[in-house]
Amino acid sequence: MAVTRVEVTPKIGPGMRDVRGDVVRRQLAADHNINIDDVRSIVGFLIKSEIDPGAIALRVDDLFADPIIEDGATNTLLLSNKEHFPSCPSTVVTVGFKAGVTDNPGAAALDGFKTIFPTSEKSAISTYITYAFFGLPHEVDVQWLAKTLHNNLIQRALVADQNACTAGQWPAIEYTEKPPQEFEAPLHVNMEIPDQDLIDLSETGLLALNLEEMQTIQAHYRDADVRAARTAAGIVADAPTDVELECLAQTWSEHCKHKIFASKIHHIDTETGEDTIIDSIFKTYIMKPTHDMQNEVDWLLSVFHDNSGVIAWDDDWSVCMKAETHNSPSALDPYGGAMTGIVGVNRDILGTGLGARPIANTDVFCFGPPDWEGDLPDNLFHPSRVFRGVHAGVRVGGNESGIPTVNGAIVFDDRYIGKPLVYCGTIGIMPRRLPDGRESHIKTPVAGDIVYMVGGKVGYDGIHGATFSSLELTEESPSSAVQIGDPITQKKMVDMVLEARDTGLITCITDNGAGGLSSSIGEMAEYTNGCEIDLAKVPLKQAGLSAWEILVSESQERMTIAVKAEDCAAFDALATLHEVEATPVATFTDTGIFHVKYEAATVAYLPIEFLHDGVPQLQLESEWIPPKVEAFVPPQAANHADLMLRMLARPNIASKETWVRQYDHEVIAQTAIKPFVGVKRDGPGDAGLIAPIHGDPHGLVISCGIAPRYSDIDAGAMAAASIDEAVRNAVCAGVDVDKIAGLDNFCWPDSIESVKTPDGRFKLAQLVRANRELERVCRAYRLPCVSGKDSMKNDYGTGEKKISIPPTLLFSVFGDQPDVRFTATSDLKQPGERLYLVGRSHNELGASEISFMLKESGEASGVGGTPPQLEHPERNLATYRALSTAIQTGLIQTAHDCSEGGVGVAVAEMCIGGRLGATIDLDGTGDENLWARLWGESLGRFVVAVKPEKEHEFIAWMSGQPITFLGEAVEGPNLTINDGYDEILTADVEAMVASWQGALDMTGGVE
Amino acid sequence: MMSAPKVAVLFGFGINCDHETAAVFNLVGGDAERVHVNHFISGERSMEEFQILAVPGGFSFGDHLGSGRLMGNRMRFALRDQLHAFVAAGKPIIGICNGFQVLVKTGLLPGPNAPLPDFVQRASLTLNDSGRYEDRWVTLEFDGNSPCIWTKGMTRMDCPVRHGEGKFVMPSTTDFDALAAGHQLTVRYVDPATEVGSGMTDEPLPFPLSPNGSMRNIAGVCDTTGLVFGLMPHPEAVYAKWLHPDHTRNTAPGPEHSEALGAWEGEGLQMFRNAVEYVKTNL
Repeated sequence: MAVTRVEVTPKIGPGMRDVRGDVVRRQLAADHNINIDDVRSIVGFLIKSEIDPGAIALRVDDLFADPIIEDGATNTLLLSNKEHFPSCPSTVVTVGFKAGVTDNPGAAALDGFKTIFPTSEKSAISTYITYAFFGLPHEVDVQWLAKTLHNNLIQRALVADQNACTAGQWPAIEYTEKPPQEFEAPLHVNMEIPDQDLIDLSETGLLALNLEEMQTIQAHYRDADVRAARTAAGIVADAPTDVELECLAQTWSEHCKHKIFASKIHHIDTETGEDTIIDSIFKTYIMKPTHDMQNEVDWLLSVFHDNSGVIAWDDDWSVCMKAETHNSPSALDPYGGAMTGIVGVNRDILGTGLGARPIANTDVFCFGPPDWEGDLPDNLFHPSRVFRGVHAGVRVGGNESGIPTVNGAIVFDDRYIGKPLVYCGTIGIMPRRLPDGRESHIKTPVAGDIVYMVGGKVGYDGIHGATFSSLELTEESPSSAVQIGDPITQKKMVDMVLEARDTGLITCITDNGAGGLSSSIGEMAEYTNGCEIDLAKVPLKQAGLSAWEILVSESQERMTIAVKAEDCAAFDALATLHEVEATPVATFTDTGIFHVKYEAATVAYLPIEFLHDGVPQLQLESEWIPPKVEAFVPPQAANHADLMLRMLARPNIASKETWVRQYDHEVIAQTAIKPFVGVKRDGPGDAGLIAPIHGDPHGLVISCGIAPRYSDIDAGAMAAASIDEAVRNAVCAGVDVDKIAGLDNFCWPDSIESVKTPDGRFKLAQLVRANRELERVCRAYRLPCVSGKDSMKNDYGTGEKKISIPPTLLFSVFGDQPDVRFTATSDLKQPGERLYLVGRSHNELGASEISFMLKESGEASGVGGTPPQLEHPERNLATYRALSTAIQTGLIQTAHDCSEGGVGVAVAEMCIGGRLGATIDLDGTGDENLWARLWGESLGRFVVAVKPEKEHEFIAWMSGQPITFLGEAVEGPNLTINDGYDEILTADVEAMVASWQGALDMTGGVE
Repeated sequence: MMSAPKVAVLFGFGINCDHETAAVFNLVGGDAERVHVNHFISGERSMEEFQILAVPGGFSFGDHLGSGRLMGNRMRFALRDQLHAFVAAGKPIIGICNGFQVLVKTGLLPGPNAPLPDFVQRASLTLNDSGRYEDRWVTLEFDGNSPCIWTKGMTRMDCPVRHGEGKFVMPSTTDFDALAAGHQLTVRYVDPATEVGSGMTDEPLPFPLSPNGSMRNIAGVCDTTGLVFGLMPHPEAVYAKWLHPDHTRNTAPGPEHSEALGAWEGEGLQMFRNAVEYVKTNL
């Protein structure tokens, strides 16, 4: 078949511009200080089709080019056309996808092509984009430029330098296909080998299994009963097939089995002399407290065992939430990795119960500093590029799926250069009961149900994702671990699945994420105790995938759904209507066996019990020796007004508005508090608040807390601070403190002591301390953790070059809010409002943002000291209840939590949101140290504003709670902070706005 | 008085504002149903069953090859006759955001200088000058002399935009002059500091007053009959005052009282009420 090239470029003329080219020009200016006169873009399509090129040329304006704004041409390079490109560029870079990589524009073009040429069944289309640079400074290296414009893991680039341009030698990307692959019959893997060979087998095969786990598998195949059963089933008796070994590796991966959280830990505390055994952190500190609370409330419908935790929101609706990380893929391909992160967690919601509808997203990122000028280890992207790519991936994934991003955070620390953290969360909603009477949070499969794979096809993309993420990142990390999501294919699937749910067709559903079909069908088969899969029925993107590859591929946009045999016709019809791929590939059984066939041949025959419960418990060592951190000693003389402007420009505090505004936060028409609030809609929001049932103001609050730097002193303090921050944020929106659920997402460096990780005992002790604080605080707050996840290998490199992330807990909460018409935002509303501090400030400056800032500038030498503590959480809960109900009754409409930068930054942000000044006095707000009262980050604190006429009522309402009068909002331009008779600082509000907004605006401006 | 007008709210292929668009019609006395595009294409359902058609916002086909283009093509090629009959029957159509882009690319908007559509594309919506998709609130002003039945009585409103391709362009100034003469430039971005009724200007406003660099600050246009209307901003997303950013400042605008939402009706709902009332009165 012929390949036809179609190129399209924006028309030039009055009022018209080449925005794609402009964006590249602005980003090169913003990120690298490179100023270019002009950049123009060309989009190319390579159409392999039986349709005649002449026929295609006639329809270019019907499909590829928009005749109003674009010019198109067929089988020519536009650059050689003087009409479109009258002047000669100085450099050209053209970028296309590598063969086999998801090309979403190509897929969409093909769909459109088939609308116009319905007979073109066998056509295929790939796309590329060409950038022509005019006036590129001579010192810019062309290869460097090409490298910044593409990722060689998934894309290819061709360039023309000045000489080639002058000679008219334009680079041309050609159509390529992945070479055909031969199906390989399953291998038998000999496990009767020495221990060292077992370890080598695990490492070279990317199995990520340790020796004991390999030996457990070895022992299974020595069992006489197992051998007899296998002989009877017609599969190799005394050795695993490659299908089985891969399936076990996926199912037993750290990613899927959370082996560290499930391990038996010998824990020593050198401070207290404690020497104990902890049998599973997860069961002890997370599961048990939640189950205890489940006995006391009626709204915890489903915890831990499903794809997300479900709570009853009212009599008619339940809500659920899940957060995931996608760190390793985002390090390799920030855009694709992050996009699969967000659309992946959307599927967790769709796969909850009998199917929930995703209605809101949260995104929390941890990056290296975007202005990093130090060395970068091999194979790592600059933090600004990671930031841009991750942001773009999440933006496209969320926006195109029609799910609003209502809450999030971006945190910066040098150590995230080694591994960015990309947390994506999703909230879902479902009717408590389906029309057929079934409770929607309970799956109801029985043996005999037909199991469909729904959504996309299976390809090479994403083989070994689960095991890969359980290993540290190296230069050899495989590109197949990266996938690019396709939100529209998924959106079609979501529409179809929810319709199938409402018509009662679904008995069981789960998503295909890590481990692919092996995990999804494997997990669902536990319900009926068995399944039989035929891998030959699975639709493939490319022919020739071997059985094990089909089973473990993590190709995106797939759900696994069980349907009763009599409902299959109706299910098929729905799939046809929505143009969604849906193929029956398995049947549930009750044989106790995970039985995998390829056509007639049995290729895997694993007892369900062995598959899911066979992995041996890890035995780990933990030892807490408090780290020695040089104390933070504030400088003697300080200009606090100057410090204020510098603090507001700290990336951890500065406005992220230019980034966050690129997320759709209002689709579904439910968002009652936007991410940015106030008179100019640019002050910080504390929590997301939605009213998801149209016409009904019943609300749901979504918020988060994250405080990784306290881990430098004590990971326990870090965990407590994260939880408290999430709850405080929710209180600011008026959450019902008696109906909040939490999610714990741990990201940790490798915590298993080994040659690669000599400090594993310490890192594991950090994990123990974090979880003990999690239990203590959650029990005190009556806050059940209903879902969570851990990512335990966040390191880059080895030896002296090793970079480990700071232990990081993201704590998310979602909770009931009785009426969104009565809530609060952080912006000051009018002059004369009376400001109060709720809570007390303590001498807790350890690892505070001010300490890090002054250490980095050389004005202080350490960040050590007492980090924020949470000594009496039960008292905080009483305060939170009082404040939250004050908001729910309309007494308070202005509240802001104090976190990074303490009271000083909190009040400054309230002034920014309201474009009002304020005069406050810190005298009497806590411990003697002024720095602690001004910049300290003690927990349990808020600044609230109350209208003068409601002040008495507020004081009475808060009776018995720690509140201190601070001052009032004023008409003037200044924030003035006093300490008794001493004026500490006066700062101009507009100057604060400029500092706060300027720091992270990396847009390159709009002109 | 007829019973509740039946509203077809299209969905499928990446449309994603279908739920709220259906909900707002129901709040003002419509009887809205989400109908998959393929149900109309296959003939299983017919547009004849409905009195109002809404093409909601979203990312149909991922907006690849230009926003609204692939969905526009499906409608232009597969639904041409049904759409022609719908317009000929004098039934209102609205396209919001991606739906507006779809109607422009099918040629329904701004349409020919004639009452019936010819499915020729005359305008386009292209990438914002900023190069960014953005969700932000803007101020809109309506042309009181517009024949548009959707915007009757509306003067100015706050409304969110959420798009990356909202810059309205046409090939020449005479194209705009012709539309302006017919008052088809129904709604434009304006500076909220201007007096109500005098905010409209042909001079491009700076970002972010105009979020996208639209020619003549155009936010939405109608056809010559005033029945077919499209706009980039999202009126359905301000159906209630609690969705307005100023509601915690007690300054969210909107009617003091409505049957639908008491004191909490937002400014956007009137647009949908106008169409429902029009159908009740005229069809």
